Amino acid sequence: MNPDDVLAVPAHVVARRIGNETVLLDLESGTYFGLDPVGARIFELIGEGRSIAAIGRALLAEYEIGEDVLMMDVERLVAELRANGLVTLR
Amino acid sequence: MVPYRLDPARAQAPVGGAPYHEWTAPDGSPWAAFHRAEEGFLLRFPGFADFLVSEDGRLATCIPVPGADPAAYHHLYLNQARPLMLARQGKLVFHASVVELDRGAVGFLAASGRGKSTLAAAFAAGGARFLADDGMVLEEAAAGFRVLPGDPSLRLREDSRRALALSGVDLAGGPVLARKERLPAQARLAHCGQPRPLVAAFVLGQGGCEEIRIRRLSGVQAFAEWVGHAFILDVDDAPWLAAHFDAVSRLSAAVPCHALDYPRRFADLGRLRGAVAELVAAHVRPRDEAHEPG
Repeated sequence: MNPDDVLAVPAHVVARRIGNETVLLDLESGTYFGLDPVGARIFELIGEGRSIAAIGRALLAEYEIGEDVLMMDVERLVAELRANGLVTLR
Repeated sequence: MVPYRLDPARAQAPVGGAPYHEWTAPDGSPWAAFHRAEEGFLLRFPGFADFLVSEDGRLATCIPVPGADPAAYHHLYLNQARPLMLARQGKLVFHASVVELDRGAVGFLAASGRGKSTLAAAFAAGGARFLADDGMVLEEAAAGFRVLPGDPSLRLREDSRRALALSGVDLAGGPVLARKERLPAQARLAHCGQPRPLVAAFVLGQGGCEEIRIRRLSGVQAFAEWVGHAFILDVDDAPWLAAHFDAVSRLSAAVPCHALDYPRRFADLGRLRGAVAELVAAHVRPRDEAHEPG
């Protein structure tokens, strides 16, 4: 994964915030997904068109966590979202 | 007046093509098959009846199999076809029983056999009123979500009926389906025939515990439970699914939802009623206080 990668949310994926979490629905497959607060924030930043690196910088400012651990979490979630077709590479 | 058209009985001929959706019983046997039809949808309950449902979910035709008991296919209409039809019409419909507490409605979401009817009957036998047995129908309004009253009857197993001291209660008659008998609303089982605001929901666990356990669910957890217990007629209708997704998201944010598990002992139902009522009162009280004039 390239830090400059920018992702997009396809039109067939809809998302709604519930409190500090997010639920997603892939309208093509009819599959639902849930994101915890950190995942929800990452998804929100993806929706704003931020690169992987920019997402990491934003979260570092918001969470007290080491950069290496944070970036591993970000990349793992992004990989999972891509594997399920919930985000795509622009 | 029967709320569906009844055609002459005929054998269930093979349907061209595989069903687009299926329900299976806990033992894995086919319970219902959903097919697309020229009129809209064909809901097949093997060995009992077919229901032809219009595309908009407003009209149904029942075609029973020869020899089918009328009470059996009427039960299938009430508990399966009608909820699917109401969902198609845009209502939110869930596998749940509902009782009235603190001037609001409390829903108990559960798969078949988990005890939601017994729980509703326990509240009713304790003086509360029930709104619905096997299907909770919600309408969304500016003030929130409200539950529409369902059929004024409860389906209970014989042991539940005896344990709740409802043996003297009249039965609605008809055959026993899935070892349950239908009890109409009456003095000992009062029915609330008016809509009530939904104030809380509980998702029933399997009962493998020794004590009553109640845990508040997060928004995502609640959403998953609402969707998992929802009646959905056309799982491939993207616009419908998107609208349903939006509504259930709002529901998950608006209504407190809890996981509830308890040992399935009739002797504990009184305590369980008390625990649920206390929690519901705690939800209702802040809402009431927020609306009191200062």
